[in-house]
Amino acid sequence: MIITAILTMLVIWCLFYGAVPGVALVCLCLVMGGFLAVVGRHKHEGFLVIDIIAQRSQLNKINSPLKFWTVLILLFLCIASRSVVVGLVLMAVMLFLTVAVGGLELHDYLSLLSLPVSFVLISALALLVDYGSSPFGVINLPVSQGYLVVSQAAQLRTALVLSKALGALSCLYLLSLSTPMPEIISVLRKAHVPDIVIELMYLIYRYTFVLFEMYRSMKDAAKSRLGFVNFSTSVKTTGKIYTNLLARSYQKSMNNFDAMESRCYIGEIRFLENKKELSRLHAIVAASLVVIISGLTITLH
Amino acid sequence: MFKWTKKEKRIMTFSVMIAALLATSQTVYAMHIMEGYLSAAYCIAWGAVSIPFLVAGVISIRHTVQKKRRALILLAMAGAYIFVLSSLKIPSVTGSCSHMTGTGLSAILFGPMATSVLGIIVLLFQAILLAHGGLTTLGANTFSMAIAGPIFSFLLYKAGIKFKLNRKVNVFIAVALGDLFTYCVTSMQLAMAYPSESGGVAASALKFLAVFAPTQVPLAVIEGILTVIIVMGMESFAAPELKEVGFIKEGN
Repeated sequence: MIITAILTMLVIWCLFYGAVPGVALVCLCLVMGGFLAVVGRHKHEGFLVIDIIAQRSQLNKINSPLKFWTVLILLFLCIASRSVVVGLVLMAVMLFLTVAVGGLELHDYLSLLSLPVSFVLISALALLVDYGSSPFGVINLPVSQGYLVVSQAAQLRTALVLSKALGALSCLYLLSLSTPMPEIISVLRKAHVPDIVIELMYLIYRYTFVLFEMYRSMKDAAKSRLGFVNFSTSVKTTGKIYTNLLARSYQKSMNNFDAMESRCYIGEIRFLENKKELSRLHAIVAASLVVIISGLTITLH
Repeated sequence: MFKWTKKEKRIMTFSVMIAALLATSQTVYAMHIMEGYLSAAYCIAWGAVSIPFLVAGVISIRHTVQKKRRALILLAMAGAYIFVLSSLKIPSVTGSCSHMTGTGLSAILFGPMATSVLGIIVLLFQAILLAHGGLTTLGANTFSMAIAGPIFSFLLYKAGIKFKLNRKVNVFIAVALGDLFTYCVTSMQLAMAYPSESGGVAASALKFLAVFAPTQVPLAVIEGILTVIIVMGMESFAAPELKEVGFIKEGN
């Protein structure tokens, strides 16, 4: 988490250098970095935390096709926009919806965001810094024969890309933190994704939990026998656990097939889907959100 | 234009070094392009490029399943296996937590056709359940991670068999180079979307390669080693299963 904070500070420093006076810039960096370091502590406990949050979310009650298509439209509007504002507005709206309406703790939301954000920031660094033979930017750092340059154009472009990426990420999070996987799959089924892919998706989702349970017991067994005592041992142990996992999952799938066949499986599986009524209020909110964002996307440059 | 004092330069160099050092010791996933990182045109273009491969994959899976119904269950288990593998921490030298791709293993075990379909499903799951990758960048990620990388791994593996390379060396080379190839393709995709001001696409590609090298190169090596252990282990105590798994590949 501290790494993300430092990276954030570095990127912000390069991003606003020259545009914001020195003292304010340092303050901004420290505030953002400190905020991330304190609030969003990255934890690595449960498996598929997002899935659990989605099941608990208050937004889970909303009709899932509505959520899915609205988020998809907003995503495309966000990446099509040519202004920093759209991304920032979406970020704020999604934060409000997920935290205040969905009932997720702000701390959890930020710590979940910190993982993809660190990747976005590393890429932002590559966008910001350029290598040239002449010092044409706001920040010029001589390296061997040339300069590492941060130009104003690069700053503007990076700001746009960052805001779009963060806005899009928040949109994706609204969907994934409020909609369990089976419902997303059922939306895809209605969108005429081939049956065989849909069946595969349902089964993969279910087997994931079976496999993870298997993995956990194997890992605990190996750990209690000093299987992770040093690096080379842990590589060996991990490899063996994965081998065993593959062999066991194969046996499990064969048992599963026998069980299905004895229950009249003839090559087609349908899963029960919970129907959630489309409420008028939700539809209106979604529609107005789409209208506002598309308005912003079209008008702002 | 202002002049840097010596102290300022030193501070800047120090901060860059810290960033480089620390960036290596954090959560390392295989290189996905994050949500919102590509403009709409590129999202659609990469998606379109991936479609033929996916169609071929779906058709091949459908044929296999018609011939042998067990295959569907087996494929689903394979997909779940790849997804679980990609969400687990693997040991790493720097104390970071790295994650495997698993697509190289899948290409060797199940062939590139099936891997493309399993790959897009796994990528979708990763985007939604692990917040890695994204819905708009699904096409680009599918191309680099589920199509280009696995096909490259598979070709290397086949070539290795033809030239009678040692099994372990062959698997290692196929998987590690496949991973590196994926990382190069992703860097190219990012560079094409964001060419550098002074040097165009090539310079930009170099920048992305450089920024991600400290995380991706060790990952490729470790994934190669792990896959060797997995494949060897499978051969020593799960040979009949492996043979059975092979029929999926024959169906392609």
